Amino acid sequence: MSEALLSVDNLSISYQSEAGMLQALRHASVEARAGEVIGIVGESGCGKSTLASAIINILAPNAVVESGEVKFKGRNILALSTEEKRKLRGRSIAMVFQDPMSAFSPVLTIGEQLIDFQENREGVSRAEKRRQAKAMLARVGIADPQHNFSRYVHELSGGMRQRVAIAAALLMSPDVLMADEPTTALDVTMEAQIIHLLRELRTDYKGTIIVITHHLGLVGELCDRVFVMYAGEVVEEGSVDQIFHGARHPYTRALLLCDPAHLEEHTPVLPAIPGRLPDLVNPPKGCSFAPRCSLAHDRCRNEAPPVLRINAGQQARCFEALR
Amino acid sequence: MTALYDMRDVGHDLQATSLSWRGLFADKKSSINILSGVTLSIGKGETMGLVGESGSGKTTLARVLLGLKPATSGELAFEGRPLKAADDFAHLRRNSALMFQDPVASLSPRMKVENLVTEPFIIHGIKMQSRNARAVELLERVGLPANIALRYPHELSGGQARRVCVARALALNPKLVIADEPTAGLDVSVQNEILNLMTELKNRLEISFLIITHNLATVRHVTDRVAIMYLGRLVEQGPTREVFAKPLHPYTKSLIASEPQPDPRKRRKDPAIKGEIPGVLARPSGCEFHTRCAHAQPRCTAVTPESRTLAPDRIVRCHLAEHLI
Repeated sequence: MSEALLSVDNLSISYQSEAGMLQALRHASVEARAGEVIGIVGESGCGKSTLASAIINILAPNAVVESGEVKFKGRNILALSTEEKRKLRGRSIAMVFQDPMSAFSPVLTIGEQLIDFQENREGVSRAEKRRQAKAMLARVGIADPQHNFSRYVHELSGGMRQRVAIAAALLMSPDVLMADEPTTALDVTMEAQIIHLLRELRTDYKGTIIVITHHLGLVGELCDRVFVMYAGEVVEEGSVDQIFHGARHPYTRALLLCDPAHLEEHTPVLPAIPGRLPDLVNPPKGCSFAPRCSLAHDRCRNEAPPVLRINAGQQARCFEALR
Repeated sequence: MTALYDMRDVGHDLQATSLSWRGLFADKKSSINILSGVTLSIGKGETMGLVGESGSGKTTLARVLLGLKPATSGELAFEGRPLKAADDFAHLRRNSALMFQDPVASLSPRMKVENLVTEPFIIHGIKMQSRNARAVELLERVGLPANIALRYPHELSGGQARRVCVARALALNPKLVIADEPTAGLDVSVQNEILNLMTELKNRLEISFLIITHNLATVRHVTDRVAIMYLGRLVEQGPTREVFAKPLHPYTKSLIASEPQPDPRKRRKDPAIKGEIPGVLARPSGCEFHTRCAHAQPRCTAVTPESRTLAPDRIVRCHLAEHLI
């Protein structure tokens, strides 16, 4: 197996809040290799957005990195100077946001913005940047790039906006492409097309794609490896097949079970996970999922569970993972 | 099942004033057809799903149904009483409620939950002994503790805000509740709790629900009947189980096939449906779906298909439906 292009090692991040330090991310480790599509899955408050912000280096001012590092090509990017971080962002690590409407300026045309995004590209003429931007629009499936080049974001449909956002992110041929809920704002038909586009891009895009989502359907369709997060921790990781067909962590299993798309039969009363997320200012001293877990015993409530290796490539943070 | 609400051949046109150079001098009125030929009936105690892509006219249909927008053609009837005069709509509004798409935006940020959920009583001039006691009672019905009554909307979680919206919608014991994307933006576990709450209240209080959504996975489980909308027309309707087991319209088929599968072993090669929904301003001729349909024939581009009943309670608007099964 090749060396990781991007790795998050034992990263803990807290936010200063009125109630105290909110431990949004606790000892999270994630690895991504070139050519892989990584899925980071979890519900609101699981820490996936904090993890994404750390990777692209846009942490909020009240965020404190307690421990750990984010290594990109062997360098810890959290320790870089502001200037070095800025150079990395967009050029080596690019991001596609959930809401493409607010990711673009409403007063500039799509074309002007796609040219501006290449500002740092030295020794390339404006005409060449324009040509590349148009080629990229065509690449992401925008019909008639010539015409759409001079349109504004509000004139595009949701699906087209997301295509343009992907084009913008790929313009500088980044090594890591992060996509935060890239299909949540879209209809199923558009979602299927964006999934298809991302899958197609894999063939000629050499870098890593990291998809952050709560949508299991998207992960199942697109990803190679999956990291499941709960209450700031990575509770299970494995290949997409290991996670969807051999999940060992009770939270992963509960999450899969809850997805209505997973239920074959007509089910008028849908399954739900009882209870609520724990308070992250005072996280439980044992397993953070124990209060909601049907398998929990005394040890789970009092002692933090270890990460147990299940198979090659699959591990879970649970005492019962090997049962 | 007796019908609670009947729509017969309903259409809605949007009046637009075009401002062309000529329009500056001669005000030229034009109308844009949004809904057309919508025939739908919602049974007593039934949950109906209304499914379609953005821009298909789902929300407009809900607004026409409640009289918030006029039906420019066709007939509406609630409990067998035709909706024509203002009085008829007043009766409808007293017995129906709308749950809006964005719960936080639909809860006034300056009002406490107790005032929000009891506002319908004030609007309809119904006396209450104590506003707080009433609010606590309504909150209890949706599984919220009494102390929520004194909170402001920004102090609620997404799931709690939804529950407050359910409590408010049910305040006057309506016979019909229209829920516009009731679970958009919620985590799957919380989404299921809200849907289960709606199902439980429906069974207990005999309410009819119209759930507007583009989430097929939930429609499949929580609705009794389903109607599929495309560019302002209902292209198919029938019992949910039958529609999902054997969709008759090519659009329904491709919608179901588009749903991402939470199973890497069932990955699809190709998207089931290509292109985008055409706008109402560029409504295709004949069958509106022909521009994206894999089975389209010359007849489809020329002749608009009528709604046909192919089997008991299975209505479809497609020339070729029986050949495609």
